[in-house]
Amino acid sequence: MTISQILFIVIALVVLGGGVMVVTARNLFHAALFLIVSFFGVTGLYVLLDAGFFAAAQFLVYIGAISILVIFAVMLTRGVQQAQPANSQWPAALITSVIVFVIMAIMLGPIAVTIGDRQFGNLSWPNIVEGQTVPAVPDDSLVRLGQSFVDFNQYGAAFLLTAVLILVAMVGAIWVARDRTLKDVMEERAELAAEEAQEAMLAGPAQPALPVGAAQVAEPTAEPAVRH
Amino acid sequence: MSLIDTINNLLKIIGDAVANLVQNILGPGLGADLIVMGLGALALCTVAALTFMAMTWAERKVVARIQSRVGPNQAGPFGLLQPIADGIKMFTKEDTTPTSADRWVYNAAPLIIATFALLTFAVFPIAPGVVGTNLNIGVFFVIAVGSASTVAILMAGWGSNNKYSLLGAFRTVAQLVGYEVPMLLNVIPVIVLAGSMGLADIVQRQTLADGNPGIPFIVYLPLSALAFFIAGVAETGRSPFDLLEAESEIVAGFHVEYSGMKFALFMLGEYVNTLAVSIVFATLFLGGYAGPILPPYLWLALKTALVFFVFMWLRGTLPRVRVDQLMSLNWKVLVPMSVVNIIAVIILAKVFVTSPGLQAANGGILVTPATQAAILFVANIAILLSGLAIVARRARVLRLAEERQLESRRQANRAAVSGFAGGAPAK
Amino acid sequence: MLNGIPLYWFLLISAALFCIGLYGVLARKNAIAILMGVELMLNAVNINLLAFWRYVAPSSPAGLAFAAFIFVIAAAEAAIGLALMISVYRNTRSVDPDKLDSMKL
Repeated sequence: MTISQILFIVIALVVLGGGVMVVTARNLFHAALFLIVSFFGVTGLYVLLDAGFFAAAQFLVYIGAISILVIFAVMLTRGVQQAQPANSQWPAALITSVIVFVIMAIMLGPIAVTIGDRQFGNLSWPNIVEGQTVPAVPDDSLVRLGQSFVDFNQYGAAFLLTAVLILVAMVGAIWVARDRTLKDVMEERAELAAEEAQEAMLAGPAQPALPVGAAQVAEPTAEPAVRH
Repeated sequence: MSLIDTINNLLKIIGDAVANLVQNILGPGLGADLIVMGLGALALCTVAALTFMAMTWAERKVVARIQSRVGPNQAGPFGLLQPIADGIKMFTKEDTTPTSADRWVYNAAPLIIATFALLTFAVFPIAPGVVGTNLNIGVFFVIAVGSASTVAILMAGWGSNNKYSLLGAFRTVAQLVGYEVPMLLNVIPVIVLAGSMGLADIVQRQTLADGNPGIPFIVYLPLSALAFFIAGVAETGRSPFDLLEAESEIVAGFHVEYSGMKFALFMLGEYVNTLAVSIVFATLFLGGYAGPILPPYLWLALKTALVFFVFMWLRGTLPRVRVDQLMSLNWKVLVPMSVVNIIAVIILAKVFVTSPGLQAANGGILVTPATQAAILFVANIAILLSGLAIVARRARVLRLAEERQLESRRQANRAAVSGFAGGAPAK
Repeated sequence: MLNGIPLYWFLLISAALFCIGLYGVLARKNAIAILMGVELMLNAVNINLLAFWRYVAPSSPAGLAFAAFIFVIAAAEAAIGLALMISVYRNTRSVDPDKLDSMKL
């Protein structure tokens, strides 16, 4: 067994163990932390695949942003940490997942399986020949990726569309999660304006005749311009 | 090899000697390589931890001077042994865990924060050829790994099961995640100019060599440097942005419940993060180890110390900002300015090229590097000044509105008081 | 780095992660936990894309580009989904999708 294989198995255990804990943990906060463990394992897989940039991006996007969002949502909704982690259909869900996994494992795995007159599994992908080493990654693969993002014959349009998508998602998320509607804001403003009008009405006539003793009480002169 | 060369390459010579020694003992192979790597990592972590001790001493001394105090002066000459005394105190303190704490989360948080803070040191180029691992995505790696401290702080805040800790953790999410944005945005102009994300390449681009004027990027990009520095201060949670642990509001934020070595690990994480930001700033904007006469590692140490001195200076001088000011500064000032700056730098770097090869490939106007630096400097300063002008105008409008409101309230007060003085209730 | 690791190892781990995520989506009661399951599934897809890129076509940017798009989609999905959950929680004090049946006849 090579060191890479041992590393792969350790990382796979981290990824899958974290994943299993995510879907079974009773405490949602713990589930979110195991989600981070699983993401961290996936980072390791990317490093094994010579995709260092994507490992760093995985760290930044998934661990640094998405899981933080998830934890934040868990904290904000902590009033409903129910004791029962699974709903009533969990046995059916388990069976479905296992069946899907078995089908995918047969399709993708190394063992040829014959069902009826069709043969599944043991697929041979192009460029991969048994016993041959994997082709090397060119040094400028990131440069090519960047160029493909600005080249409209490749992914230029898709890149612009994803930029629009993330912008729309950002604005939409802020709008959906806001705690005051536009109507509330307008009503508040109207109330404020009415109050001010009332104050002005009260203040108007009494202005000139200021009694002597009241002057000290009413002058908060040296109040600094600090709002709390 | 002359003496000067020996001194200049001291670290590399020592490293090679150790590697040779290990290989002579074990024989060449993967095992020896792994041991050499482990020793390198150990050396880096030791240097970082020792620097942490020196930093605590320096910070206490400098802040004391700024505030007309003496600072630590009992343990050893000039209080130099103070960090060791602190360490002994931390070691011998009782290590408590609150009974209602989430044990695993509570105990793992300090380990995670310290581990990921130290992990960033793997990519810093200390001298030519002396680097843990020369990743081609160095800057990105540092910022990505730095973002893990947010998770650790959230874990500490939640795991302690204390409302002040949790409040501190909530603030952390807003502050650290928010300030990551300007931090990344202000690295992009440097990447554009250097043509690489590798820290060693970025230093190479600022080194004096033939065809390369050796101008540090702070001259090209003063606005980016300023914004990156501000974001760095906020990202490490230091004064004036130390809202994570505002003593007067939320006791000590996320680490209220920690004591003994766990608390020391949090301090280690905080200071090592500060050191990492100082080194990144020195590398990106001040030219890293590049410099005349002195050996490279000494240059890096000097520049890092300079940046850290500014950190301490800020801490000794400025009061803590409010939460809303912190958020406004980030989203309304730093991010828009950085975005405008990125667009300007990319366009200018495309129009005014310095190498004939690039001109042949993409067109543009061929200028000397010094001219390019001057053009970018002027553009940066122009963006900075116009941004500040807009902010100042907006602030004046707000202040006038506030004064008007205050004035009308005052008049209402007067009216109410004069009503009472007349003998009848106002309403 | 890939010394002795065949492609199907990566495919199998990605399939397993996908099915774990699927179970989470189908069986969890809390909508935030369902979102976590979706994130796991997206990660599985990304492992698949990068594995095929590495083994089959390392000189083409296609695999990397699609992986990058999935990062963006995942970020957008998380932001919108969690914002919806917080909004739903504000209005109903519950994040159980089975209880959000006020539009049922």
